[in-house]
Amino acid sequence: MKKLIAIFLSALMLLSLVSCGASDSNEATGDNAKDLKVGAIYINSKNDTAGYTYAHHNGITTAMKELGLDVNTQLFIVDEVPEDPEQVRAAVDTLVGKNVDIIFGISFGYIDALETAAAEYPEVIFSHATGYKSNETNFNNYFGRAYQARYLSGIAAGLKSLQTGNNNVGYVAAYGTEYAETASGINGFALGVQAVNPNAKVYVKKLGNWADEVNESAFATELISSFGCGIIAQHCDSAQPQIAAENAGMFGCGYNSDMSPDAPKAHLTAAIWNWNVYYRTAMEAAMNCGSADNFVATMGTPAYYGGLKENFVDISPISENCAPNTQKAIDAVRELIVNGEWDVFSGVKLSITADGVVTKADADLLDNAGNVIVAAGGASVEDGVITGTMNYYVAGVQEA
Amino acid sequence: MAEQYAIEMRGITKTFGSVVANKGVNLNVKNGEILALLGENGSGKTTLMNMLSGIYTPDSGSIHINGSEVKIDSPEDSKKLGIGMVHQHFKLVDVFSAADNIWMGKEKSGFVLKKKRYSEIDSIIKRFGFELDPEKKVYNMSVSEKQTLEIIKVLYYGAKIIILDEPTAVLTVQEIEKLFNVLRRMKEQGHAIIIITHKLNEVMDISDRVAIMRKGEYITTVNTQETNEQELTELMVGRKIDLNIDRPVVETTRPLLEVRNLTIKNDEGAVAIDNVSFYIRGGEILGVAGIAGCGQKELCESIAGLRPIQSGQMIHKGDNIVGLPPKAILEKGISMSFIPEDRLGMGLAPSMSIIDNMLLKNYRDSKGPMVDRKRGRADAEQVIADLAVATPSPETPVRRLSGGNVQKVLLGREIKAGPNVLITAYPVRGLDINSSYMIYDILNKQKVDGVGILFVGEDLDVMISLCDKILVLCHGKVMGVVHAHKTNKEELGLMMTGALDLSEKYADKPAGIARDTLFGENNNGQEG
Amino acid sequence: MRFHVVKRDNWPLWKRAVAYLIAVVAALLIGAVILLAIGVNPIDYYYQLFTMGTVGNRFAYKTFMNYIKEFLPLALTSVALSLAFKMKFWNIGGEGQFIMGSISATYIALTLGQTLPMWLTLIVMCVVAMLVAGLYGLLAGFLKVKFGTNETLMTLMLNYIALYLLYFIGETKASWNIFLQESSMRPVFVNFSKFVSFPSIKMGGKFELNICVILTAIIGVLIYIYLKRTKHGYEISVIGDSVGTAKYAGMKTNKIVLRTAFISAALIGLAASFKVGSAGVLSTAITDDVGWTGVIVAWLAQLNTGMIFVVSALICVLQFGSTVAATTYAQVDSSFANMLQGIILFLVLAADFFIRFRIVRVKKGE
Repeated sequence: MKKLIAIFLSALMLLSLVSCGASDSNEATGDNAKDLKVGAIYINSKNDTAGYTYAHHNGITTAMKELGLDVNTQLFIVDEVPEDPEQVRAAVDTLVGKNVDIIFGISFGYIDALETAAAEYPEVIFSHATGYKSNETNFNNYFGRAYQARYLSGIAAGLKSLQTGNNNVGYVAAYGTEYAETASGINGFALGVQAVNPNAKVYVKKLGNWADEVNESAFATELISSFGCGIIAQHCDSAQPQIAAENAGMFGCGYNSDMSPDAPKAHLTAAIWNWNVYYRTAMEAAMNCGSADNFVATMGTPAYYGGLKENFVDISPISENCAPNTQKAIDAVRELIVNGEWDVFSGVKLSITADGVVTKADADLLDNAGNVIVAAGGASVEDGVITGTMNYYVAGVQEA
Repeated sequence: MAEQYAIEMRGITKTFGSVVANKGVNLNVKNGEILALLGENGSGKTTLMNMLSGIYTPDSGSIHINGSEVKIDSPEDSKKLGIGMVHQHFKLVDVFSAADNIWMGKEKSGFVLKKKRYSEIDSIIKRFGFELDPEKKVYNMSVSEKQTLEIIKVLYYGAKIIILDEPTAVLTVQEIEKLFNVLRRMKEQGHAIIIITHKLNEVMDISDRVAIMRKGEYITTVNTQETNEQELTELMVGRKIDLNIDRPVVETTRPLLEVRNLTIKNDEGAVAIDNVSFYIRGGEILGVAGIAGCGQKELCESIAGLRPIQSGQMIHKGDNIVGLPPKAILEKGISMSFIPEDRLGMGLAPSMSIIDNMLLKNYRDSKGPMVDRKRGRADAEQVIADLAVATPSPETPVRRLSGGNVQKVLLGREIKAGPNVLITAYPVRGLDINSSYMIYDILNKQKVDGVGILFVGEDLDVMISLCDKILVLCHGKVMGVVHAHKTNKEELGLMMTGALDLSEKYADKPAGIARDTLFGENNNGQEG
Repeated sequence: MRFHVVKRDNWPLWKRAVAYLIAVVAALLIGAVILLAIGVNPIDYYYQLFTMGTVGNRFAYKTFMNYIKEFLPLALTSVALSLAFKMKFWNIGGEGQFIMGSISATYIALTLGQTLPMWLTLIVMCVVAMLVAGLYGLLAGFLKVKFGTNETLMTLMLNYIALYLLYFIGETKASWNIFLQESSMRPVFVNFSKFVSFPSIKMGGKFELNICVILTAIIGVLIYIYLKRTKHGYEISVIGDSVGTAKYAGMKTNKIVLRTAFISAALIGLAASFKVGSAGVLSTAITDDVGWTGVIVAWLAQLNTGMIFVVSALICVLQFGSTVAATTYAQVDSSFANMLQGIILFLVLAADFFIRFRIVRVKKGE
């Protein structure tokens, strides 16, 4: 057996020496922009047909098609990579071995591995979704102001609650204040609801998991039956909460995609992501930056943070189930946000009437323990969504 | 002779891998006849019969029933052709009554259990002169009752050809006689009966003709009245053989192992050995007779230290051994070899080599953390040579050896350890005659060397000729200790069933307590 | 025409090897058919898979280093499992024991790593991980010996307890939780590779051989000797073969069961500390399923220590290579390796059947 190991090890060494010496020529970073090779590291299978990985994969392939890049020959994916630094590093090494120019990592837990990889491979661009780390050359992060879309969907929910007279709104969330991502979504939504219906309460039920179809359905049902919720919003992958709302004769706001086909009689609107907007921007920057260390400069910021303005986040078309004047109110608020006149987590509160009329007024932004987060008239604290400091619920939100 | 046979097998061949189990076997039975199928273990009797009951199908050859050729592909086929087999291992549901065990195999019996099933089955029982209560639950039945039930089951389904696989192995002398009476009645009613056995006296007693097999081959069929035991043995073994077992007379020592008032529970917590006393002297073979499950196993295990005792004392050379771990008992020179029904369950590690099995009890003796396989190899080679173990090499896993060789390995190892008390249970279980005699010789040699031997056996004829004294157990109780040369099978049989109790035959000397006891001499056993 | 199954005599080693080889090749052929059906060139795919994409890759040395990182814990875990399996103690708690080992090794690295010299920290990590994992395995052994519980179920359940403990540590930000980075609002495990890491030996070129490779090889040899030559190994074999016989021979079977369960689990703990000590960071996916895959490896290698290394090496090529091969084929994801593994396992089982039995056509007698 000793012999066996010896043979094995020497074979390994021999191979590695041969391959080390073989090809140091094929330098990365495409001089010709159209030669861009894109790498991606996914948390789930690239063959998923719904969910988080699917949304990103769709965004990347859509962006590549828009830019005239060939998905079959210019896209390299390592999928089903768990949030384990060793395995992420192995995936990076594999992709770098394929001579990719840019690597997108879509899961938060890849953060440290990508940071060290960016230092080790300065000729490759690293771009990390939902993270907060970056450098000044070849490593950035990106995320979206989903809370803006959430706020718009909150308006639809608020108007519906006025119409039905039921002030209880349920929210099935993967996590609560543990993640700024979920907390900001819940808060954005709640503020949207309260802009219309100040008496509304948002009850949050946490799954403790990003995907759990059984509990997604069960928790929605529980929110309806035990907390009397008439509208169910969600921050989780499947349409189960919407289906549960429909089955109970209630209404709901979806997430990630237009869930009207799943719950035609319940669905109001869904907050959605247009990931391709960022991927296109990033790929263009990668093609134009000349060398990888110019990437962050070309992007203009180490933390891309698109919102309604960039069309990075949006809501799906509002359905027939919505109350009258929903479209009118949403359009008015959208204009405020897109024009930069107002943002959600600021010291300015919007009030929206049942007729869809929007008015602004200074007011303290309070968390649900009564602490002042932003004093009346203060500027938006949206950075909290990027750096992950938003670890509270706004007033009117409570965990169920 | 154009005689019509109930069953006729022609040129049957069956192979398992490279092993030929049956080779061109011819066999026939007439209606109203009892045919004994005689052969040593591994001669292919059971394989042959399993082809009649549809468990195996022959590789070649043909089977004819009442003159026409049939194909038996499954037990159902066999049942439809009127063949019924009573296996060695009963196939009964314990919690069901006798009648229900028969009933459940019936097709189209409907869902409702009707009262009349009892009377229906009772009528069959009466017709053949059985004694069995159709409402009795199987778990309350004795071995012989269970066997009776199996036979009734077969008859109920209309079998005209009945095969019994070693039916007497589990029965007492009296029960055997009862069984034979039933078989004779069945014969009178025109049934064809095949009885598998290797006990010659039974063959002579019950059969009309004897078919003999040896090593898978059909030898011949003889009329029982025209033959004798010696001839049958020669046909079965293939050469002349001396059927007498020696009983050398040896000067015995004072008691080596004394057991007093021993009570042991079995795995289920019931009393297995009930207040038993006996002793073994050096240079003596003490037989233990009793029907299966009367506590022999528990007794052996307790002496070897493998089973805790409830009460009582065990004195070895004056030292108390109760409560000692198995290892300490081994070191005192008490060696136990128990051959269970599956032969490999206790005493051997089947998938390990002969060498490794030799080391089982003394692997600790070598110095350091390593196992001394050189010593194991030397031991293995010696046992292989001394006892003529047929094996390709000492490295061969024990489970690849034939039964006789497995037992030689086991016994060889025990003797190699040089014990002063040798406990051996069923050492010839499943062995051919030749190997059995070899084992008797080995035991006698030990006896001559002054070893005290406890011999738990099955065959009363053997025990009477081999042992010096015989301890008879019934349901864990001592029925008496008799001198082998002063007793006979009938007496032993009565004692085994509890019909005869000789334990208080001599008022001045309770059974199992030596006059020259070492008890109390070393003053380490409290009376109790 | 009818067939039936007949037992076969023992085949020589080379015939058995050929049978297994045919099974593997057949599995690859089935895989090829599936690949063709989804429009992937199987030759190119397998080429990429078996070379792990190293040909013409300027980072091939990285591939080998990553490969070894995957291979080591698997090989060591499989060896550890084989120890228990040999005794017919069905320890399928490799995952849980690995996790417990990882957590405790990380704890040592985080608490002692900056004060003790590195070599000492590493030794303490290994020892503590072995102890904790060993005790975790011992728990199942103890329950079996004491209450007769089924160790398969127990170890299985203990896997989930360990897994959720790891999730809990990985997701709960709290002052006591030294495993998570303080600076990050979102839970991220602390990376300690800067001050605690198993040293590597430069092997020429850029290839570095981690010291754990050598240690694992040495442990492999030791375990081989342990099983084949020592009294302990002998006792394990006897108990695995027949508990009744072991008791009869005067072995303290309970003690041996406990001892072996402990050693088996402790070795898995050692594998975990090797893994954590090389990665320099804990993660919720730290086991990389070695506890499960190790069962398959141990079985495929038929508990032969040398074969375990060979089979682990091959399984890792399969797993690692299919990830590499999948990068270029949109239709195939990395799970293809799992499917291929399943087919191989199935066919090797079938080969095993044909090694032990043969099918005979029933001839009509004359």
